[in-house]
Amino acid sequence: MIRCLSFLFVALLAFSSNGMYAQQKPEPWSNKQLLETEKLASRIGQGEVQNLLILSIGPDALIKGSVGIGPASEKENINKLRAYLKDVAKGKEVIIYCGCCPFDRCPNIRPAFRALNAMGFKNAKLLNIHQNVKVDWLDKGYPLNE
Amino acid sequence: MAASLHAQNKMLKIGQSAPEIAMPSPEGDTISLSSLKGKLVLVDFWASWCAPCVKEQPELKVLYDTYQGGMENSRFEIFGVSLDKDRHNWLKAIERLNIAWLQVSDLMFWKSPVAGDYFIQDLPFNVLVDKQGNIAAINLHGKELKDFIASYLGNER
Repeated sequence: MIRCLSFLFVALLAFSSNGMYAQQKPEPWSNKQLLETEKLASRIGQGEVQNLLILSIGPDALIKGSVGIGPASEKENINKLRAYLKDVAKGKEVIIYCGCCPFDRCPNIRPAFRALNAMGFKNAKLLNIHQNVKVDWLDKGYPLNE
Repeated sequence: MAASLHAQNKMLKIGQSAPEIAMPSPEGDTISLSSLKGKLVLVDFWASWCAPCVKEQPELKVLYDTYQGGMENSRFEIFGVSLDKDRHNWLKAIERLNIAWLQVSDLMFWKSPVAGDYFIQDLPFNVLVDKQGNIAAINLHGKELKDFIASYLGNER
């Protein structure tokens, strides 16, 4: 009986923990839509940027060639993102990044990616910034906007 | 290149002199960390976009009210250094969180030179600077932070 109760307790704990909740809630991007920072840095370095759009949906557009939309946790910036992409072909490679903090704490990447999905962008990517744009971009000496 | 220098595995060390921070306050005056010499200073690196930093502010307020209490001659001070980019969001957060201690920001997000000077890898991050201007503790939070400040100021009496 005691064993049974303690099992129930452990199960309840697991269910109520944030980790479990985070696992159950699917991200708006697939693993295939995550783009590694070194790949983007190398493409920018080699000038292979004609066919892509790089958009910052966080506090600042540090990455070379990227356009700052503003933090996508704010509704007005989601509207700006929609307006900016209104006439862009749906097949265009659109890469978004925030870089404030790790994904689990970032308030911007999910609303922005959902907006891209809702607009029908088939080739949307999220830059896979593990820690933040300082550690994963600036400190690596990758190209920056002037 | 400055950026690649930061990539080397350098770290802040306890006992070293605290790198200078001189940035504008919300009112526009430049306030420097060195001007606070003689006090124990908690340098709190934060930003309005950093959820755990925002969550920590009420705890800092308790420390501030306990050890600073608005007294000019107190031996404790908090120096909030924001990595915000947007001035409006920075000021809004200060107001909403009712922050009474010193606040500065160069509004440069992760590009701020202090992020490199203090080898900041993540926020929240803080250092305690002793009255001589040296680093006394690095990145203490919660009970550890409270105990350190109590012990430092207690031992001084």
